[in-house]
Amino acid sequence: MRTADVLRLAQPRWRLFAPGLIVGVLGTVSAVALLATSAYLITRAADQPPILYLSIAIVGVRAFALGRATFRYLDRLLSHSAAFRGLAELRVGIFRRLIPLAPDGLAQTRRGDLLSRLVGDVDELQNLPLRVVQPLVTAVVVAVASVIVVWIILPSAGIALAVALALAMLLGTLVNLRLSARADRDLAPQRADFADQTLDFVVGLDVLTAFDALDARLADLARTESRLTRSTLARAAGAGATAAAVSLLSGLATAAALWFGIPAFAAGVAAASAAGARATAGTGVLSIGISGPALAVIVLVPMAVFEIFGAVPLAAGAWRQVRASATRVASAVPDTLPPEIPAEPRVDTLIASVPASIHVPVPIPAPIPVPVPIPDPVPASAAAPTSAARHHEIGSAKFVGTAGPHPQTSPSGIDVGLGGVGVGVGRGGAAEFAEAEARTGARARDEPLLQRVEARRAPAIELRGLGASWPARATGQLRPGQPALRGLELSIPSGARLLVEGPSGSGKTTLAHVLVRFLEYSGSFTIGGVEARTLAPAQVRSMIGLCEQNPYIFDANLRQNLLFARETASDDDLLAVLDRVALLDWALERGGLDARLGERGSLVSGGQAQRIALARMLLADFPVVIFDEPTANVDPDRVERLLVDLLEAAGPERTVILISHTDVPAALVTQRLRLGTVGW
Amino acid sequence: MKPVDPRLLRYAGAARAFFGFGAVLGLAQTACIVAFAWLVSSSVVDALHGATPFGWRLVALVAVVLLRSVLVWMMEWNSARGATIAKSQLRQQVLRALPRLGPSWLSTRSSAAVTTTLTTGLDALDVYFARYLPQLILTALATPILVAVLFLFDFASGITVLLTLPLIPVFMILIGWATQTAQKEQWLKLGRLSSGFLDVVEGLSTLKVFGRADRQVTRIRSVTEEYRASTMKVLRLSFLSGFALELAASLSVALVAVSVGLRLVSGDLGLGVGLFVLLLAPEAFLPLRQVGAQFHAAADGVEATEEVFAMLAGAGAGVAVAEGARDADGTAGSPTGSRADGRLVVNDLTVMYADTAAVRRFSAEFAAGQLSVIVGPSGAGKSSIVAAMLGFVPFGGSIELVGSGDSSERKASMGLTARPLGRADVAWAGQVPGLMAATVGENVTLGSEHPSPALVTRALALAAADAPDPALAPSNRLGVNGAGLSGGQAQRVAVARAIYRALERGCRVLVLDEPSSALDRETEARLIAGLGQLVADGMVVVVVSHREAFRAAAAHVVRVGAPIAARTVTPAAAPGTPTGTRRIAVR
Repeated sequence: MRTADVLRLAQPRWRLFAPGLIVGVLGTVSAVALLATSAYLITRAADQPPILYLSIAIVGVRAFALGRATFRYLDRLLSHSAAFRGLAELRVGIFRRLIPLAPDGLAQTRRGDLLSRLVGDVDELQNLPLRVVQPLVTAVVVAVASVIVVWIILPSAGIALAVALALAMLLGTLVNLRLSARADRDLAPQRADFADQTLDFVVGLDVLTAFDALDARLADLARTESRLTRSTLARAAGAGATAAAVSLLSGLATAAALWFGIPAFAAGVAAASAAGARATAGTGVLSIGISGPALAVIVLVPMAVFEIFGAVPLAAGAWRQVRASATRVASAVPDTLPPEIPAEPRVDTLIASVPASIHVPVPIPAPIPVPVPIPDPVPASAAAPTSAARHHEIGSAKFVGTAGPHPQTSPSGIDVGLGGVGVGVGRGGAAEFAEAEARTGARARDEPLLQRVEARRAPAIELRGLGASWPARATGQLRPGQPALRGLELSIPSGARLLVEGPSGSGKTTLAHVLVRFLEYSGSFTIGGVEARTLAPAQVRSMIGLCEQNPYIFDANLRQNLLFARETASDDDLLAVLDRVALLDWALERGGLDARLGERGSLVSGGQAQRIALARMLLADFPVVIFDEPTANVDPDRVERLLVDLLEAAGPERTVILISHTDVPAALVTQRLRLGTVGW
Repeated sequence: MKPVDPRLLRYAGAARAFFGFGAVLGLAQTACIVAFAWLVSSSVVDALHGATPFGWRLVALVAVVLLRSVLVWMMEWNSARGATIAKSQLRQQVLRALPRLGPSWLSTRSSAAVTTTLTTGLDALDVYFARYLPQLILTALATPILVAVLFLFDFASGITVLLTLPLIPVFMILIGWATQTAQKEQWLKLGRLSSGFLDVVEGLSTLKVFGRADRQVTRIRSVTEEYRASTMKVLRLSFLSGFALELAASLSVALVAVSVGLRLVSGDLGLGVGLFVLLLAPEAFLPLRQVGAQFHAAADGVEATEEVFAMLAGAGAGVAVAEGARDADGTAGSPTGSRADGRLVVNDLTVMYADTAAVRRFSAEFAAGQLSVIVGPSGAGKSSIVAAMLGFVPFGGSIELVGSGDSSERKASMGLTARPLGRADVAWAGQVPGLMAATVGENVTLGSEHPSPALVTRALALAAADAPDPALAPSNRLGVNGAGLSGGQAQRVAVARAIYRALERGCRVLVLDEPSSALDRETEARLIAGLGQLVADGMVVVVVSHREAFRAAAAHVVRVGAPIAARTVTPAAAPGTPTGTRRIAVR
């Protein structure tokens, strides 16, 4: 993403931005006009003309006084609202570009940095319309208008004012550049550094305490902060110099107006008396000189203009910060995907037209010939909700034909193409699920959700000469370009229970990430006979679900942490699933589905987090499920029980790929894959 | 917000001198303003009356203009400096307060939110210290002087200004009341929005698995739109006070201009005075207008720092707890004594979180020279026992080191040489590795004053973190929170860090919480072998683990049940363990 693209995202569209700008210009024009009209009024009044001659000036003074305040109020409202609208677009724009990268293309992005980038920099970008574009445009428009008015009265004074304003513009921005360019450049990375160190300190407080390293860390932090302080002060000095320069030029512009205006007035008086005529009422611009009121106007207008023009150097300073933030935002989001990350089709154009309830967002133009598994109605309908009564029928898949875009309904009334996942992905989603629900009617509704969804059959997976490597940005574990997986041959029939074993770094997680298309692969990987590369990654992920090693728990309540896996699930469904993963008592103890789980699941233990993740997998009902170390943080005496529960919950139709370094009872698996260390 | 928040001035005492100097500069500037207005108006009037020589006035005018610009520069610099110093002082106080609040306090907070408060949150105070406060001081000094000057020259204009001026604070207070609650809500929303956006970004891979990532676009948009709508609701009111301010100022200028004009027509007033008053009247409003313009931004800043004050206040109250748990700190035993006889005795340990007991009356004994393993289901309080050993949580009961290592005390009964376990006695690795942005080596030597590369190598080897793995090389640089390592690698580096400390400082007790949860069996076996060496050296090694391998390797297994009870079991195949046969009764 280029800096210009970020800036374009940050600047609200003209349609949004224009009202604020127009009103802003009206407000500043009123401010200048108020002082000019007042000066005119007073000087004219000194001639003691009939009061009638002053009435227009009096009305003008009052109108401009009201106008200044009213326009300013509207201006602030309109421009802030436009800037906030821009912020929403910016956040969304950045997030969209992160989606295809996550997670493996982002692995090396440091968290504290991400925080500072996406919160700080994006907020900073809001200043582009508010503090850069609007004040600059307004000031320039008003300055030009004032120069023209003064020039009409007295060209020399107009030129002097123009020179002073131009100098103020140049000097203000130049001085600003000189003194604070460096400070600005240093400031944002230093702030990010400080934020990183602070985050390390806050997160590692227990470690630092236990290792008596608190004082050293605090000293480090104080050093970083004092560097930050120095840069901040250098910038303040720059801003101060700028304000001083503007103040100086403003005073000099007034002095210049006197210098040119007084002789012109004297000349005007001389010319008028020479002509032997009394100056008529009004702004008598004589060929040689000017009137008294005109003198007052050209002397006072510069003061009013400069009051507004003071915003220009500030806008220049704001611009540099905005640009720096934009550059950093741009660098956080690379233009091109690393080759190790599969490309996602552009989806943003489709999203707008797809109703929010549809959860498979990637329609494909033609139905893909995926074999349609028709479930054996007997085990599905006979399956009792409790694990004890569950059958262990493995590998009894019957493939019948290929899928059309429409779901098929088995005699038992169970929706085969449930969620459109795996078959006819094009129209899939919760909408169809809801449709199916409506069709199956009250009878189905009475049954627990888990029972209803266990009708799907998994496509077979074939891996031939499979290889994969991690992007260079994520080189924590391997040297760049080093394949993490090489020449893997494997057939996973429908309904298999595959155990993947191997030491750390042997590519177990790599394999899991390839299967859900987080990582690109070489060789061949087919799902139901279709090469995965030819499918959209999201389609693959609708068939193959991954339960990550460290499942992410959102900072929300338990219900929200489950519901996104299946949004049509009722509370009873959720509780049933929690019961399945042996979390029901725990959940009820904490207030049920409304229990908060804390930031990144800080209020749940590792084992509980795994169980919540399992519950999500069950709810989402993937035909193929990968568990990456599901028992890593679970008690040994519960491991076997959990594995049994889990495999039974998966049902006989589903393929389960289990990545584990703990022993798994032989009866539970049908297939084993042992990965060795690849590379060094 | 009160005009001046006393807490801010108290905590940021070092900045007071700058504000005093700012007041002096403000007075000088007020004098410049009066002089400038007088010079300009008298020049114009003299010219109108036909007095052409105005040379000395022009020189004086330029001199005043120069002085004014220098004063502007000094004021900017001075207030920026004051603000920076005030902020830094506050920040350092909070950073120092955090350890006093302790890890258990932090676990109830979002670390991102705390970090934001400490960085960008405090930056919100810039407006308060650099803009608002100096202008407030200027208002207090300059406004009365300018009003007095107005009275001196033209009584009627003085009255006009004097009557309109108080309207500003009155309006502002009224509008301020109306917006105060709305502002509080907005700040809460801002925090939620900022951590909510990050939450979505961090959970992106999970969302992708469930095909929900694209849907978040809608959510981000709606949350931001909600934020915009609610902020605009506040701003509509907030900007009203700005409106009142501008209106009062410009109307009073209009009133002065019109009344001066009318009195000029009737001949009651000279033009010189009229112009002078016209120039001075807006200046009388300027400082107050600036205060008003900064008021809401400043109030937002103070609002943002409520959290900071809460932390500072909390730290004050939390001292007793944390100190109580830590008072054994300084009393660590001599590090190099023969440790073989040490015993760690936990008696009647109870840990409460709010009203729930995480650990209730847990008693156990961990002897030196044997590997002790604590097992139990999740939620049984294993980690709370560890937290109590480290003094991270307040607890009831006692945790003591018994038998200080003199071999003549070999037969000394328990309790004779008992002393509370201090933090200096313990080396620890928690469930979360807690690595930092530094090299692997720097992470391992955390807290060491004289890092020893040889000891780093040894510690990494004992922690099974010495594979020919470039990620585990001591020179490998990690990102924030140890980014760049896999879970298993980070775990082993954290264990190596604990071992390093134990070896360098001669800690009596090594406590590891689930050190192998992310390790494969081979690596786990090597880790157990490494720990075996430390056990053989006479260290008290306590491992919380659910792994079969650790249980099998343990000479002593302590089982923690549900938070009700704990009992020890002695594996049948553990002959000759000195304390293994001792059953610790509970309840």
